[in-house]
Amino acid sequence: MRDDEISYLIGRICLKDRPAFKRLYDATSARLFPICLRILGKREDAEDALQEIYVKIWQKADRFSPDATSPSAWLAAIARNHAIDLVRARRPVASDIEEAYDIADAARDPEEASILKSEGRRIDGCMGRLEAEKAAAVRLAYVEGLSYEELASRYGVPLNTMKTWLRRSLLKLRECLGP
Amino acid sequence: MTSPDQNSRDPRRDEVIAGEYVLGVLSAEDRRKVEARLQSDRAFAAMVNRWEENLSAINHELETMSPPPRVFTAVEQRLFDAPLADTSGARRSIWASVAFWRSAALAGFAFSMALLALGPEIFAPPERPQEMIAELSGSDNPISLMAHYDAARGVLTMTPAATRQDGGKSLELWLVEDGKTPVSLGVLSQSGDGTLMVPEAMRPMMNAGAVLAVSVEPLGGSPTGTATGPMVASGRARSF
Repeated sequence: MRDDEISYLIGRICLKDRPAFKRLYDATSARLFPICLRILGKREDAEDALQEIYVKIWQKADRFSPDATSPSAWLAAIARNHAIDLVRARRPVASDIEEAYDIADAARDPEEASILKSEGRRIDGCMGRLEAEKAAAVRLAYVEGLSYEELASRYGVPLNTMKTWLRRSLLKLRECLGP
Repeated sequence: MTSPDQNSRDPRRDEVIAGEYVLGVLSAEDRRKVEARLQSDRAFAAMVNRWEENLSAINHELETMSPPPRVFTAVEQRLFDAPLADTSGARRSIWASVAFWRSAALAGFAFSMALLALGPEIFAPPERPQEMIAELSGSDNPISLMAHYDAARGVLTMTPAATRQDGGKSLELWLVEDGKTPVSLGVLSQSGDGTLMVPEAMRPMMNAGAVLAVSVEPLGGSPTGTATGPMVASGRARSF
């Protein structure tokens, strides 16, 4: 289903239009279900999560703003946020957002930056500009909803190394994708 | 996220925190801090939205997989068969009633059948008065059509009306912009000509693509300012 059709259905759901809700579910649940499954691992957990996610979609439809994100990104964000909150509650990790961010030396030289900009702004192209191992870590973090600690043990690197990897990768991606 | 240096507006650091949040690597505690900031910091919220948009393309690499039908059954049970929690629940349940939707869909069909079945004879009683009125409705339909015939001018006017029930209902017209709460354009007059004056402030919203919808409301219109009764008709505006 096209994005404008999904937008329209979300608008109808604001009006508490049940047939529109059913159509949205039919059009999008096969995309949101695998997102939950990859993050949560177990089928029954993914089914329970998907149920909660569509309850949220029904309740929060009026908060969708087409100016801010595409409807498919909005739906994916609701699904991922719900699933990630579940795994984070199940496997708690330490808080570290207040610590110093080691990103000062991640600045690129201007020449490389201009090469990146001309490469186009699509995520796959920009991921291809990262070192393969780091791109794979970014992808794994996103698809499986892993914490820094889990990623570090998966890759057998110290926690701080993993943080540096991903933070620098995020800055490089932003530079490549453009503002 | 309440420490003073959080507002130092280092855009690179904010960009990284927004990206970490969307990737999902943060702790539960940090996720709550980010979400609290999203409520008040629009520039930061825009960074999060941009990451959501950019990274969501990764989801397309996942193979689609339909959930079992029991998931949607459970969703419907949660949303529509739950015990009524507040006084507006009764109204909400009308919105959610399948019977209403079925009858709304049937209504249009019933009207056309009624018109075909009645033919012109209904407007031609022996004494030929100057004005006549007929109410066209099917059984259990929440709306009907009022036919008003002015014999002197030969003009037949059809006006939608709420079927008289529970002391009378009104039909209210709503303007629905995608993603926004519907705003009322006013109550359709039961005896009038179907014309509504659009308030000055709302005229810019009357664009192609806006959805017009009609709901059945208590007599005089919605008491709350938002649609409370079943929606019986809707359509998207287009240019002509």
